[in-house]
Amino acid sequence: MARAAHPEAMKPRTPGRTRTAPPLMPDEFPTRGRYLPYVLFDATGLVYMLVGLAALRVVWDLGSGPEAWGVVQEQLRHPLYVAFHGISLVSVIFVGVRFFRLFPKAQPPKIGPIAPPPEPVITAMLYATWIGVAGVMTVILAGGIF
Amino acid sequence: MSDQKKTFVVTRFDPDKDDAPRQDTYEVPVEPQWKVLDALNYIKDEIDGTLSHRWSCRMAVCGSCGMMVNGVPSLTCKDPLSNYGDRVEVAPLANFPVVRDLVVELDGFMNKLESVKPWVLTAKQRAVEEGTYRQSPAELEQFRHFSMCINCMLCYSACPVVANEPEFLGPAAIALGHRYNLDSRDEGNRERNEIFRGEGTVFSCSYANECSEVCPKHVDPAAAVNQAKFGAVIDWATSFVVPRREKE
Amino acid sequence: MLEVIRHDIIIVGGGAAGLRAAIAAVEADPDVSVAMVSKVYPMRSHTVSAEGGAAAVARSDDNLEMHGFDTVKGSDFLGDQDVIQFFVEEAPKELTLLEHWGCPWSRNEDGTVATRAFGGMSTKRTWYAADKVGFHMLHTLFQHSMRFDRIVRYDEQFVTKLVVDGGAVRGVAALDVREGAVRLILGRAVILATGGAGKIFPFTTNGNIKTGDGMALAYREGVPLKDMEFVQYHPTGLPGTGILITEATRGEGGYVKNNEDERFLVTRDYGVGTKAELGPRDMISRAIVQEIEAGRGFEGPYGAYVHLDLTHLGEAKIDERLPMVRELAKLYAGVDPVHEAIPIRPVVHYMMGGVDTDIDGATTLPGLYAAGEVACVSLNGANRLGSNSLTECLVFGARAGRHAVGFAKGVHAANENACRGQAEEEAARIASLRGKKGAEKLAPIREEMRSTMESGCGVYREQASMDETVRALAELRRRFEDVSLEDASVVFNTELVTALELDNMLEVAETLAVSAAHRKESRGAHTRKDHVARDDQNYLYHTLCHRDPTGHRVDKKAVTLGTWEPEERKY
Repeated sequence: MARAAHPEAMKPRTPGRTRTAPPLMPDEFPTRGRYLPYVLFDATGLVYMLVGLAALRVVWDLGSGPEAWGVVQEQLRHPLYVAFHGISLVSVIFVGVRFFRLFPKAQPPKIGPIAPPPEPVITAMLYATWIGVAGVMTVILAGGIF
Repeated sequence: MSDQKKTFVVTRFDPDKDDAPRQDTYEVPVEPQWKVLDALNYIKDEIDGTLSHRWSCRMAVCGSCGMMVNGVPSLTCKDPLSNYGDRVEVAPLANFPVVRDLVVELDGFMNKLESVKPWVLTAKQRAVEEGTYRQSPAELEQFRHFSMCINCMLCYSACPVVANEPEFLGPAAIALGHRYNLDSRDEGNRERNEIFRGEGTVFSCSYANECSEVCPKHVDPAAAVNQAKFGAVIDWATSFVVPRREKE
Repeated sequence: MLEVIRHDIIIVGGGAAGLRAAIAAVEADPDVSVAMVSKVYPMRSHTVSAEGGAAAVARSDDNLEMHGFDTVKGSDFLGDQDVIQFFVEEAPKELTLLEHWGCPWSRNEDGTVATRAFGGMSTKRTWYAADKVGFHMLHTLFQHSMRFDRIVRYDEQFVTKLVVDGGAVRGVAALDVREGAVRLILGRAVILATGGAGKIFPFTTNGNIKTGDGMALAYREGVPLKDMEFVQYHPTGLPGTGILITEATRGEGGYVKNNEDERFLVTRDYGVGTKAELGPRDMISRAIVQEIEAGRGFEGPYGAYVHLDLTHLGEAKIDERLPMVRELAKLYAGVDPVHEAIPIRPVVHYMMGGVDTDIDGATTLPGLYAAGEVACVSLNGANRLGSNSLTECLVFGARAGRHAVGFAKGVHAANENACRGQAEEEAARIASLRGKKGAEKLAPIREEMRSTMESGCGVYREQASMDETVRALAELRRRFEDVSLEDASVVFNTELVTALELDNMLEVAETLAVSAAHRKESRGAHTRKDHVARDDQNYLYHTLCHRDPTGHRVDKKAVTLGTWEPEERKY
């Protein structure tokens, strides 16, 4: 049985003059069909919030001086942290792929006289940038440069 | 008459008799080339004359016959019965108040459609003597597919935001407004972009893409909504740089 | 308690003609209030399904004379030439206005509006929007009409009676389909724009809502229906469903072939000459029927058919100019026209006849106007050229709107009590229909009506079968009085609406059969096996069918001739 939608969903400005049955959400919401990936997609916001908090915490700890670097590195090797970062990585890839699929069609047909490049080109550019930047960051953090 | 039968479980609701919607079951002998609508018409003509549903063109262009079939929004005159097994559940469109059986209240949709000023807005009315506007095939192509909407409202049924945010303009209304924004003859972008940033905000869209998945005319309202977001932001940003005429 | 609503102009029907009339009315007078009353929301009106295009002189190699003559000749010289003259003059202005309002006409490279060839037209003058012209025109008109606060819509209100008092129409009684209540809407003028009645036939391009409501409403108040015998069979509809495959398929170069892969419109003499597939619709429909009767058709589960071959046009052209045709063929006929021929047969498409009006859309009942397919003005005479009717809706919708406003200015207030009385009687009548007990079921009466119309008033007619149809319809009318309705509910009772529509259809069907039996000649779409020639000597007039205590009475109305004298109709 479908769950209830907001009781005022699609309500007309001028109320109709016969009694109506309240609106119901589509049957497959939230865990069936394509709604499941959609709900997970929006739910990754939670993951980013935690990533953000964790990053703030790391920055805060590093504020106590250069010795803190070693301590922080030790903490980050904790299995729970590793698992958390694993989940974050999966989330980011999931959202990235899903968002990159949407991005090309969300471009306006023209900005002034300039038309966007064809969709496969846009997609290629997005992935190139993403992988490129992620690659550089990985190298830096692994100590390869700097 | 063929000897294949399917079981139809159809939502019924008469506000004068029923507290809440209920279901009736019908055994229908079906033909191989039938669409879901043909079975509903058979039920009405031969089995149960009290079933109420909307339909007209039976060629997927008038938009009357949208319903939920096995939980998914469907245009019943276009949807072949062969897509379904022996049991077919037919219910009124999700996210809409239900008036009777498979008939939903659609005035809320009409309100949203009208609110985006879906007409050619120009500072001055062009005279007939001036002839038609010049519009190149490329300019027409920019907005043509967004103009294909038959107002069947399947996208509203599929959209999880429509279900939870009553003010949200919704896919078809935004796509229609955007269609006019992209039309080279129209000068109403600023007005519409203000509406897009208003109460019914396009930014409520959270990228489900369900609207485009269910659209029977390949309008791709998700593209329109997300393009509209971009347009609304650019318009907002430029409003600080470019002075605006005061609205009358 | 009867609810009474007051407006100046009441428009019944929300399709192209109704919307155009509404817009014309509010533009003609800033103070006028217009009620648009339709049994469906306007975007569901059957205008939406028109595919091919709308005609108006556009190119430099074209002129008003040519469009006028093509139309006169297409009408088999029964069209009123003053009407046709006005029509061809106004056509380009109307289509231009629609373009200003946003209609996405297909374009030439230079940005001007493109035109395509169409049946019976001597040059390309059909403006088109891919192959969805009706859809685009309807949505453009509807969206443009939303600008005007003074156009008030009454959606899903089924007008069941014209309220007439003091010799003029004073308003309408309308059933609110949702609430089940009957309302009185008072107005100074009423414009009928309810479309045709294709659903009286079994195979038709028309949607479920085309049930001749406006024709029946007028007829019951003594307004004559003109030229009802002229029913257009569109040559290319899908067998079974009757879904329209536009004439534009032939305009873009499609071939019609029999089971010997022969383009019989070229190889055999069917009167279409070099125009071949672009001949007028009546001739092509007859040709197809004759080919099938000669055994050169294909047999299918829905009867015989012939082929419409687009395979030589190529995928690119089909996707650009005929995308909806491709979709329809795949969805409803199971063929991809890029690779296979489409099965087609003639199906009922349009009624040339309708409520008798003059050039202003005025009927014999003061205050009552009609425009569009419901009316017979007469633009189309005995046969309509494709792409003229969408333009007709605009030209005469606008004219009727303006004239109704002019008329309304001189109207004094109605006797409200008398009007209320009529509306209350109507409400009681409808209430008694709901869940009525009887011996007959609805669907069989409807199906038998359709089947007798097909056998007696099909493409080829003869006296005996037409007389039989008249008799059968009278019998069906008697059975309808004893119909049984299961649904006694009040809210959104569609069985009640279906019964009211059947009542209207039976009325219209009878006038059609009676008019057809009366006209003892073949002209345009009315083809008789027992009177094969056109008889200008005795039958160059419009048939007027009146309601009469004895049933129906047929009178004559002169055709307005003009520049063009009737001649042999050969292409």
